[in-house]
Amino acid sequence: MLHVESLTASIGGTPILNGLDLDIGSGEIHAIMGPNGSGKSTFAHALAGRDGYEIGGTVTLDGVDLLDLEPEARAAAGVFVGFQYPVEIPGVNNMYFLRTALNSVRRARGETEIGARDFLAVAQDAMDLVEMKQDFLHRAVNAGFSGGEKKRNEILQMAVMEPRLAVLDETDSGLDIDALRIVASGVNALRGPERSMIVITHYQRLLDYIKPDFVHVLVDGRIVESGDHTLALHLEDHGYADFVNHDLDDTPERPLSGAAR
Amino acid sequence: MSETLREIKELTDASYEYGFSTDLDTDIAPPGLTEDTVRLISAKKDEPEWLLAWRLKAFEAWKSMDEPDWAKLEIQPIDYQSLSYWAAPTQKPVLDSMDDVDPDIRDMFDKLGIPLHEQKMLSNVAVDAIVDSVSVTTTFKKTLAAAGVIFCSFSEAVQDHPDLVREHLGSVVPVRDNFFAALNSAVFSDGSFCYIPAGVRCPMELSTYFRINSQNTGQFERTLIIAEDDSHVSYLEGCTAPQRDENQLHAAVVELVAKDRSEIKYSTVQNWYPGDENGVGGIYNFVTKRGRAHTEAKISWTQVETGSAITWKYPSVILQGDRSVGEFYSVALSSKRQQADTGTKMIHIGADTTSSIISKGISAGHGQNTYRGLVKVLRSAKNARNYTQCDSLLLGSECGAHTIPYIEVKNPSAQVEHEASTSTVGEDQLYYCRQRGMTEEDAMSMIVNGFCREVFDELPMEFAVEAQRLLSVSLEGSVG
Amino acid sequence: MTAISTADDQDMVAGLTYPTKRDEGWRYAPHDVLRQLSFGPPAASTPPLPPALGAKIPALNGPRIVLLNGVVDPALSDFGALPAGLHLSTFVDARREQPELLASHLDNNVGLSADTFTALNIAFGQNGAVVHVASGHTIEVPVQIVDIALPDETGGASCSGVVIHLDDGASATVVETRIGGGDFGGSNTRTTITLGAQASLDHIVLQDVASTQVHLGHVDATQGAGSVLRAHLFNLGARYGRVGYDVCLAGEGARAELTGLYFGIGNQTLDQQVTVVHGAPDCTSRQSFRGILDDESTGVFNGGIDVRPGADGTDAEQSNDNLLLSDRAEANTQPRLEILADDVVCKHGATVGQLDSNALYYLRTRGIPEAEARRLLIGGFADQAVDTVDNEILRTWITERLRRHDA
Repeated sequence: MLHVESLTASIGGTPILNGLDLDIGSGEIHAIMGPNGSGKSTFAHALAGRDGYEIGGTVTLDGVDLLDLEPEARAAAGVFVGFQYPVEIPGVNNMYFLRTALNSVRRARGETEIGARDFLAVAQDAMDLVEMKQDFLHRAVNAGFSGGEKKRNEILQMAVMEPRLAVLDETDSGLDIDALRIVASGVNALRGPERSMIVITHYQRLLDYIKPDFVHVLVDGRIVESGDHTLALHLEDHGYADFVNHDLDDTPERPLSGAAR
Repeated sequence: MSETLREIKELTDASYEYGFSTDLDTDIAPPGLTEDTVRLISAKKDEPEWLLAWRLKAFEAWKSMDEPDWAKLEIQPIDYQSLSYWAAPTQKPVLDSMDDVDPDIRDMFDKLGIPLHEQKMLSNVAVDAIVDSVSVTTTFKKTLAAAGVIFCSFSEAVQDHPDLVREHLGSVVPVRDNFFAALNSAVFSDGSFCYIPAGVRCPMELSTYFRINSQNTGQFERTLIIAEDDSHVSYLEGCTAPQRDENQLHAAVVELVAKDRSEIKYSTVQNWYPGDENGVGGIYNFVTKRGRAHTEAKISWTQVETGSAITWKYPSVILQGDRSVGEFYSVALSSKRQQADTGTKMIHIGADTTSSIISKGISAGHGQNTYRGLVKVLRSAKNARNYTQCDSLLLGSECGAHTIPYIEVKNPSAQVEHEASTSTVGEDQLYYCRQRGMTEEDAMSMIVNGFCREVFDELPMEFAVEAQRLLSVSLEGSVG
Repeated sequence: MTAISTADDQDMVAGLTYPTKRDEGWRYAPHDVLRQLSFGPPAASTPPLPPALGAKIPALNGPRIVLLNGVVDPALSDFGALPAGLHLSTFVDARREQPELLASHLDNNVGLSADTFTALNIAFGQNGAVVHVASGHTIEVPVQIVDIALPDETGGASCSGVVIHLDDGASATVVETRIGGGDFGGSNTRTTITLGAQASLDHIVLQDVASTQVHLGHVDATQGAGSVLRAHLFNLGARYGRVGYDVCLAGEGARAELTGLYFGIGNQTLDQQVTVVHGAPDCTSRQSFRGILDDESTGVFNGGIDVRPGADGTDAEQSNDNLLLSDRAEANTQPRLEILADDVVCKHGATVGQLDSNALYYLRTRGIPEAEARRLLIGGFADQAVDTVDNEILRTWITERLRRHDA
């Protein structure tokens, strides 16, 4: 469904992604783990189409070339990114924002727009999913939200947008244990055969709640190791040292341990 | 960034949709301003002697005054002798039946979206329509009369309620107040008059719709609102003008008198023709608006200023009575070559007086936007409170935003706070919205409207929708 | 009203007039007091320095230049053994040795287009001190320049100048102490600061002339790329004490931090006129001015942030907080923003209020008498400015000076 081949990304000549390959099938959940600065967030932005990167390689979603599309067209194609740092938009009502977003996507797809009343029902279900109170919809987008509220808002948006591909960038960062549980159960409820997910995380903790089908280790802009969920458990015990050192200094005598290739 | 800049440029090049003019038979005075002009206007309106004397006093004062030069505005010199000071549709104002309104005028207002037929009106808004110098019709008169509310053209008020006019005219804005107020006092042609008796809550919103139609005429209207003790009124004002290559002068005066425990809410959506992107044409808008709040009275100014080539306007409140309240909410947009120098004055005289100021300035294109305000706490204003927030949004690198507040405090128990910020629409905000599927244009419009939210929330519902649309139209347009 | 100048040769100052209330920047000045001032060339001889006045000079352990009525007094000055890289001289010497350092300071063309008092300073402030630090040198000891205004037979106010020039990568601390005595006159001092790339200057002004006098001070600073200016103003003395700053961030990445404290008693008017110009990308500026106003004193803050076209990446903040301690005191504040670039973050804030009654009550419930509690709270308010000064001797001097104020 998602096909990524030799993806490169750099900013002002500094390379960040150095030939990333990844294939994701329909309904699969892939976790991408890696140390700070390995390019995890850049990968999410490369999929979403943020300005400011020089991008190379190929990314297709259901055969559609994403790299040629503007961010809003990628959203219409079904890409949703749950951001690590959701931005605040003062004065813009959360519900109005969401309905505009949903209807923009529907319009782009040639579907009919959803009316205020029907939207309210959709939003209500999404609110229940992330255990949010009614006033949440009437506050300005992320303005004055706590870290946990911002992340729950991202999952709420995902529930409303019903994407084909959801990319969750460090959705677990800054969450206490209750918020983590809510976010994870929201994500799990949105799993489905027609929806694939990329879960980007620094820690294994989130993967106790969201069981991935595959785990990839991203180091220096490349996937250096892939495996099943046991790879995450190994990283929990041993950290990224093996992979990082292997990549940073070229010391062949250091054993490449861990999950079997 | 360049992508965004280009976009903003396209957005701000939107055309002015009220730029038509209507062919009306007009009675127009020859250009020039002398004592005879003042006498002519007064005679045309069949005014009492005291009012002519008042006008002449203002004219004498005006001759000795200079145009103010302290505002951050570049203005082509105005030749006051080349203007015509009287233009009126030849049809006499018709007061009782809408059916008698000149069909051309009716069509014009229909085109503007302001139908004058009562059965077609937005519910619960009474409209006084003013074309060029003269009030052409006032709707819902009978409903208002039943409540004891007087809402009529200024000329009618002079004839029918001379004592009320004489007592209050110039009581808040004296004839010598400033150059443009003096000019207005000498030559004002018409305007709206509104009187709310004690204890009455005006049963509907009152609205004046101003339209400049004739060429080479100045428009000088005068509004006087008197709210007696314990009364309440909400007043709306809208303005448009045809698209012309010459600059046209508009110098209005608005006086509000809020007696004890009364409340006046005055909302303006100003969309005079702003001129084109090269700065050709557009209205010069020099307006003096001021209210006097007596004990426990409240005056609230809300303005959305998207039009005019030049805006010079400082709606103010004299907080005279103890515990009186003044508010100023403003959105001012300067795009193309527009220049706006606007803000407010809050003069705290009474004890425990409170004022708040929320100003949102938006600069785009080659627009220059200045907030200029004065918060003055006199020694008598024990426990006075002011909170001021001025935010500026810059859309593009060719425009400017300026914040020039004056704060003068002479009482130690006063608490005055001023905050200001200047920012641009964040790339990250745009990206966030676009990731959620919105076009850059929709995202921009949404973010800018969000920036203005606190002010729009103060407008009556119909006006809030209108203001939001106007802002989008001023910023939007050709993309798509 | 006296003539503005006592000079025989009026050419230099012909046409100069006193500012009026209508001149922006002079709105709140006591114009009757200003009109008592006259200016002229320094007198042939100066009166002796009264010991009490000499004792006011902070005892810093570093070199110092003393200007008495606009003329360098060698006997009171101490050039000592100067550290490597530091060059101290008088205008007289500098004219001969390093005339280029004086060029912009004494530029008549600039001066006469500026305000009246700047023009007068250029005309009559032909003497002064020059501080020059050579490239890459860090001067650890503070350099002190003392300006003393004593009434002499001319009865005029003195004019003097200070030029501070830090070459690339140099760093120094310069303290300007301005004092005076007697019943009239005062001082008009102008400082020109030039910072090379990556240079760093701590510049402290202690304004404490007699409460019968007028002080008019102005600081012009031009900053090179990556340079840092930390300016600290303590505006305490004078019937009318006015200090202005015009800071131009001309090189990319320059940073200016301006802190000020003014504490007025009696009928003082203390006036600060500040403009920071962001003329290059990625510069940072902070203005933080605090006023304490007692009795019938008036505080004025007119501070601007001026972002020129192309100064993208500007980060500018400004705050002005005022405490009114008396029914007759007055605070006038005008925080201005002029923004002509769009990639900027600018903020300003201003407050006027009185001592927090809750805090006062809290202290009193802990047994602290009201007068002492007030002193504590006022001290706390002032400390935020005082604490920006690193030199302990100076901090002590300022704290003790403030204590005399709020006693």
